[in-house]
Amino acid sequence: MKTLRQRVSDWLFPAEPDTWLAVLRLGLGLQALLYAASLRSDWEYLLGGAGSAIVNRDLSEGILSLESPFVPRIGWLTSLGGRLGVSEGAVLSFVWAGLLCASIMLVAGLFCRATAILTWLFHLCATKSGGFVVYGVDRFMTIGLAYLMFAPLPDRYSLDRIWRRISPTRGDLIGFFRRVLQTHLSIIYFFGGLAKCLGSGWWNGSNLWRALIRPPFNVVSPDVLVKYKAILPPLGISILVIETAYPFFIWPKRTRNVWLTCVVSMHLAIGLLMGMYLFGLVMMILNLAAFGPNTRGADQDSKAAAPVS
Amino acid sequence: MPRRAIHAAWFLLHFSLIVTICVREALWSIGRGFTFLPAGARAIAERLEPIVETLLGRRAAPSNPIRRGLSTYWHLGGIEGGYGYFAPNVPDSSKLVFELHYRDGRVDYELPRASSAAAGLRVAGLVEEIGRTQYEPLRQSIVRMMVDSCWREHPDASMIRAVVGIVVLPTPAEFEQGKRESYEFRYAYDFTRAENPPTPER
Repeated sequence: MKTLRQRVSDWLFPAEPDTWLAVLRLGLGLQALLYAASLRSDWEYLLGGAGSAIVNRDLSEGILSLESPFVPRIGWLTSLGGRLGVSEGAVLSFVWAGLLCASIMLVAGLFCRATAILTWLFHLCATKSGGFVVYGVDRFMTIGLAYLMFAPLPDRYSLDRIWRRISPTRGDLIGFFRRVLQTHLSIIYFFGGLAKCLGSGWWNGSNLWRALIRPPFNVVSPDVLVKYKAILPPLGISILVIETAYPFFIWPKRTRNVWLTCVVSMHLAIGLLMGMYLFGLVMMILNLAAFGPNTRGADQDSKAAAPVS
Repeated sequence: MPRRAIHAAWFLLHFSLIVTICVREALWSIGRGFTFLPAGARAIAERLEPIVETLLGRRAAPSNPIRRGLSTYWHLGGIEGGYGYFAPNVPDSSKLVFELHYRDGRVDYELPRASSAAAGLRVAGLVEEIGRTQYEPLRQSIVRMMVDSCWREHPDASMIRAVVGIVVLPTPAEFEQGKRESYEFRYAYDFTRAENPPTPER
């Protein structure tokens, strides 16, 4: 009979193939690429200083400094640029181009570890400096990228592995980092669902109606929505069930695929019906990496699961 | 210490922190009466919230190294807040309108702009932040910066009034009866070229 310690160890460090890691790397690389591309024309407007931005970046960075002066931000780079005679606009363009290049290389799987760190860093700088113009998508990208940069890269679909013949140095941790992502998603949905359960509007469909007609998420005309008002209460309740019961139905193998389909469909609907494409995409990527099929490939070597000293 | 033990310890600490942050957010919502829970639950939440805040180091001085260390950690990992999006209920959305006054008496109206839909969502979030902010000097600073940005595009305007309001959404039944979203005035700030401090009107 296994001891409790052994059981915990088996659960925390399962022998897993690295397909999930490839999904996370490719997905977050694509996500960061789309994030950068979608904000190109407004980059300086959202993240610039006095005289160019909608809200001076110094304000959000000042508030961030009250919490912690050690969190990376664009202001550090503009200060450095200033000393070297580089204009603020040039530094902002550098950050944008850096994020774009790092995300492209992440998709390709070239210099995986370095590009995962750079993608996280550039995105974090933009997120923390643009404190007033960020929303959920930025936090979920930070979470995903933070786990990715510590995970045992490169995965077997990356150019690092195929072309540069580099193997992961900590292959035994592939399963551990999937557990981390799985646990985090379970907590996110449980508490997100629980918070919604405490609002009466999610039980009678009114919150769903309000979420869909509320500017700027009013992609679908209320004239169309009102025709389907009868299904709003059951849809609202199904969102509560999908989110709150996520940790209970996503782990058992028998219900995993059903729950994964439900949650991915929910995020697809959020993306399409509320115009939150990037938010929908990042949530689908995190879910598919955490609980999607994790097939063992032909070249899946035992060393990926074996402890590496 | 074996490497697996170190990873297991980190796992425990990391998720204890995340769960505590989520609990704090839930208590915050309950304590302020945003949920349908009875007054008794509200009182309990109000008593528990300071305890949870202490656990997170939020009651320590801002310069306290433990508080700073924790803050840095959760900002780096994206775990600085809970996950109650659109919860417990979906609030009315805020709206900001710039009223541009010219010397010849002409008046134009502008909304905060963005050139792409992705940036538009972010600007909308900024306007929401103005509506949510309770600290008047901060709200005034944000509005002032947004007015400055509007002025860069309309340098001829002699005065800009920033009008902040709430978009009141109809219910499905009201919508069927012909009621549409309405705009409720909250406050306005006037800015002139002389850079006088704004005058809030309520």
